[in-house]
Amino acid sequence: MQERVRLTDVQINRDLLRSIFETPKWYFLLVGCLGLVVLVGFAAAGYMINRGLGVTGLNRPVFWGFFITNFVFWIGISHAGVMLSAILRLVQAEWRRPATRAAEVLTVFSLMTAMTMPLIHAGRPWRVMYWVFPYDFARGVYPNVRSALVWDPAAVFTYLTSSILFVYIALVPDIAVLRDRTTGWRHVLYSVLSLGWRGSVRQWKLQLIAGILLSAIILPIFVSVHSIVSWDFGSAMSVEGWHSTVFAPYFVIGAVHSGVSAVVTVMIILRWMFKWENYIRMEHIDALAKLLIVVATGWFFFFALEFIFGLYSLEGPEIALREMQVFQMPWKALFITFLLTAYVIPVSMWLVPKVRRNIPLMVFTTILVNIGMWIERFIIIVPGLARKQPFTFTWGGYTPSLVEIIIITATFALVSMLVLLFAKVFPLIPIGDAKEGMILHDEIKIGKVMVPAVMREE
Amino acid sequence: MHELHHPAPPSYLGMTAQELTQDILQVHESPGRQFWTVAAILGGLFGLGIIGFILLLAEGFDDRNVWGYYATTFAYIFIISQSAVLVSVALRMAKAHWRRPLARISELFAVVGLFNFFLLIPLLWVLPVTDGRRSIWFNWPGHSPHLWDTIGLGLLVVCGLALLFFASIPDMAAVRDHASGARQNIYRRMAMEWTGLPHQWRKLNVGLSLLGGFYFMLLVVVHMLISVDFAMSLVPGWKDSIFPAFHAIIGFQAAVAIIIVTMFILRWKTGLRKYLEVDQFWSLSKLLLALSLLWFYFWWSGFFTYWYGRQPAEQSILKFLMFETYKVPFALSFLLSFIMPFIILMWNIIRKTIWGPTLAAGIVLVGTFFNAMRFYVPAYSIEDSSLHAIEVAPPFNAPGVADILVIVGGLAGAVLAYMLATRIFPIISMWEMKEGLLLQRVRRFMKIQIKVLAKPE
Amino acid sequence: MANKSVLGLFDNADTAADATDVLLAAGCEQGDFDVLTGCPYPEGAFGEKDPVHHIYVFPLIGALMGLSVAFLLTAGTQIAYPMITGGKPILAFPAMTIISYEGTLLGAVIFTILGIIFESRMPRPRLDPYDPRITEGYIGLLVTCPEEKLSVMEQALRRGSAVDIIHEKGRALQA
Repeated sequence: MQERVRLTDVQINRDLLRSIFETPKWYFLLVGCLGLVVLVGFAAAGYMINRGLGVTGLNRPVFWGFFITNFVFWIGISHAGVMLSAILRLVQAEWRRPATRAAEVLTVFSLMTAMTMPLIHAGRPWRVMYWVFPYDFARGVYPNVRSALVWDPAAVFTYLTSSILFVYIALVPDIAVLRDRTTGWRHVLYSVLSLGWRGSVRQWKLQLIAGILLSAIILPIFVSVHSIVSWDFGSAMSVEGWHSTVFAPYFVIGAVHSGVSAVVTVMIILRWMFKWENYIRMEHIDALAKLLIVVATGWFFFFALEFIFGLYSLEGPEIALREMQVFQMPWKALFITFLLTAYVIPVSMWLVPKVRRNIPLMVFTTILVNIGMWIERFIIIVPGLARKQPFTFTWGGYTPSLVEIIIITATFALVSMLVLLFAKVFPLIPIGDAKEGMILHDEIKIGKVMVPAVMREE
Repeated sequence: MHELHHPAPPSYLGMTAQELTQDILQVHESPGRQFWTVAAILGGLFGLGIIGFILLLAEGFDDRNVWGYYATTFAYIFIISQSAVLVSVALRMAKAHWRRPLARISELFAVVGLFNFFLLIPLLWVLPVTDGRRSIWFNWPGHSPHLWDTIGLGLLVVCGLALLFFASIPDMAAVRDHASGARQNIYRRMAMEWTGLPHQWRKLNVGLSLLGGFYFMLLVVVHMLISVDFAMSLVPGWKDSIFPAFHAIIGFQAAVAIIIVTMFILRWKTGLRKYLEVDQFWSLSKLLLALSLLWFYFWWSGFFTYWYGRQPAEQSILKFLMFETYKVPFALSFLLSFIMPFIILMWNIIRKTIWGPTLAAGIVLVGTFFNAMRFYVPAYSIEDSSLHAIEVAPPFNAPGVADILVIVGGLAGAVLAYMLATRIFPIISMWEMKEGLLLQRVRRFMKIQIKVLAKPE
Repeated sequence: MANKSVLGLFDNADTAADATDVLLAAGCEQGDFDVLTGCPYPEGAFGEKDPVHHIYVFPLIGALMGLSVAFLLTAGTQIAYPMITGGKPILAFPAMTIISYEGTLLGAVIFTILGIIFESRMPRPRLDPYDPRITEGYIGLLVTCPEEKLSVMEQALRRGSAVDIIHEKGRALQA
């Protein structure tokens, strides 16, 4: 099925810069509403810092609840950027072209948002400084490099810096396009940011190398970040269900699952908002859905490993935990919901080719996945803590408070708002990539049929 | 530095379909005297293996310690052969054009899987029942691991053979059309009236996709069954949720390695050089590098969680399996499965040669053996699997004469099985190569020659 | 004699590629012309000289520096203020490995970015001829030669069907 339309550079420039040069009315309304939600979230956080963490539902023994779930969730979403951008770049998959920048930008903003979670969770956020920086205070206590909570900032900071630099260096040719099409202060801004890009052979060659080299370096970072986050839990001994060797790859593949689903959601929304039907085509969504099937099944295997081996040693406390997760309400409802939404429903739908090419159903299934993955993190974190102590009279429960719910909602609004603001300043689909895709597109005549083809240098 | 200097397009793209068929069939029909000489030597070594096996049988099934190296050989062949089939399946799913020459090379390992299935049988007598010890069967009735593992591995072997068979049907038809007499009769039956009609191709493609997906999932499950039932559950205190996944990754790494080595041997010894070019070695070397890094990642996840927790049972496991009793096999496996392949394959300029990936692959295969050894030999040296933790670690079980004979014989038998299978199935998949001829072109683009790959969807 | 540059603008890639032959016939060396495009073309498509670079040195240096800094940070801080936590040794290598690993990769990434910018000859004040139409799909052939040969090269570009000849920096397009 011939889906693509041959577009000239002028058309590509106009289409992909549309989000920057033309602002539909609903844009301001949407950003305004999201901004309002973010402000309310900040207010709630401020209220919590003023009143103390008692306004949340956290209490002994459940000291980690919604905030940490949200933290792990957003770190998870951030993994999509590298998965799509780096891995697909390294295997030279053509269908990566429209997705890379949106995914990388989602990564940067979700990482930033994720970092706010432990920050406000500290209760007195300014004290986090003592925890992260090797600053010798009078007490002579340095951050304990043997703690997973210290590796976290190291890893997330490395990932954030690398992602920002990666986005920027790949953005330089596109900023040059903007430089050539603006005047006034915007022209000056884009000129400075484009570093004098001219499009010479040398510069393009180094762009290509940058893409591959940085992808190869960022991939190990990507694997390590979520592994380190998983070791926040995996290195704990006293909490049931946490001391499991599989946590690192389990969390990483779960992150890829939820992250890629989020990117699909974002791409479909962008396609609709900015009328990018010629760039984000059904073949891209189809390919992403097939990738998701494989990733989701891999994730499910790791989930099964974690569950089976949790019970493997048949120790009392672990059995108590699993009984709570699977058989007691409300956890039973959450567990069933999570399995259905994170795996059963989406994957069985994605196996049907018509579903993969149906926009509303793809939005539905990918949002469902993220609902399920959020619940998954919640189910890993809270029941273990609730059943932490060996004496049953110290067992506890957890009910999220309004403050937590507001703040969590505000994080979703924050990421969406930041992505929309980014779209106003820089193109969300790489222009150079789109143009290159047009050049490399070809056709082969086989018998009576013209088959779409791609030119490949090696 | 011309690191982006692209290798020339594959030379076989200049051939016609008929030339390609003739060329491959010619190699298939007359392998040469050296082939049969090597087969005879391997047969002799396999005979030595049988002698070793009889020596082990003489000691009986009560002392598990005796069977440690036999289990290692079984596991080693399982790890390599069953995962090797997956390389063809996975690359077909990824629709990579460079996989075409190695498709059949990879699928032929299913026959080695069949050979390996027979090696499983004595181990079923050695394996204790699950009563009183941990297992993933959670105290199901006594036959659980014996029954389900046999069924699992059997199903996997059958699925692998089915993949090999169905993927070969068009080539069986090609051989049928060029053969005569009794040989033609045999191939006619195997080709199952294949005439190359569109609906036949459609069914073949759908069938291979479904079988492939099923094989993939089943392989991972069987890795779990073998690694847990035959190693982990025999060691007290060893509760390691990542171990089945780690075992599977070792398999994938060894699979890519064995295919690289097989390609090298084929280039060296047969007239199939023009099909197995730098492109195949380069692409597989990237996979091998990635899998070596994943090896380290999975190992590290397991080690680190144990090290950090300071639990006595887990510290004993670390000492037993890695740092005291079996530290030599562990050090060797770490060096050969991770460090050396990483150092060799890190450089793109080495990845783009023939010798570089082959050297790394050979090293990985040796390392995989030590991997298998450091799991299965210690597991079989434990006397009482029902303890809570290892209190006194049993001493290092050095291989005896019978063990060496069994290892040599097992490996020789596996290679022999593969070689004999190549007499039936042509080792290069002709129909996939011809499909490649259709879907790949070389044309002029401005001032350069460039490859064009069709993407029919 | 000082080198000067002139930019020939072409409206499609094939014409530009053919024009390089005209340039070479007029006495231009392969290394004297550069191709400015709005998107990457396959290597060698215009018959241009393959640029030499040393980018791969940068991540190596960066990695070593990052490794050293991270290792010193972890080892130094733990030695300076030794505290036993959870039964682990003071210099706990597995734990130090993690931060050293992150530091190595961070160093590699930062130096790679610096290397890309440096090797791309950026940031660069725009003194050479350039035209904004290049980002609109036009191809630019930038010829650098001694001043006395400039008019010869200009003639060659015109013979090669250049749409425009530019001697100085072009103005930005209206949005």
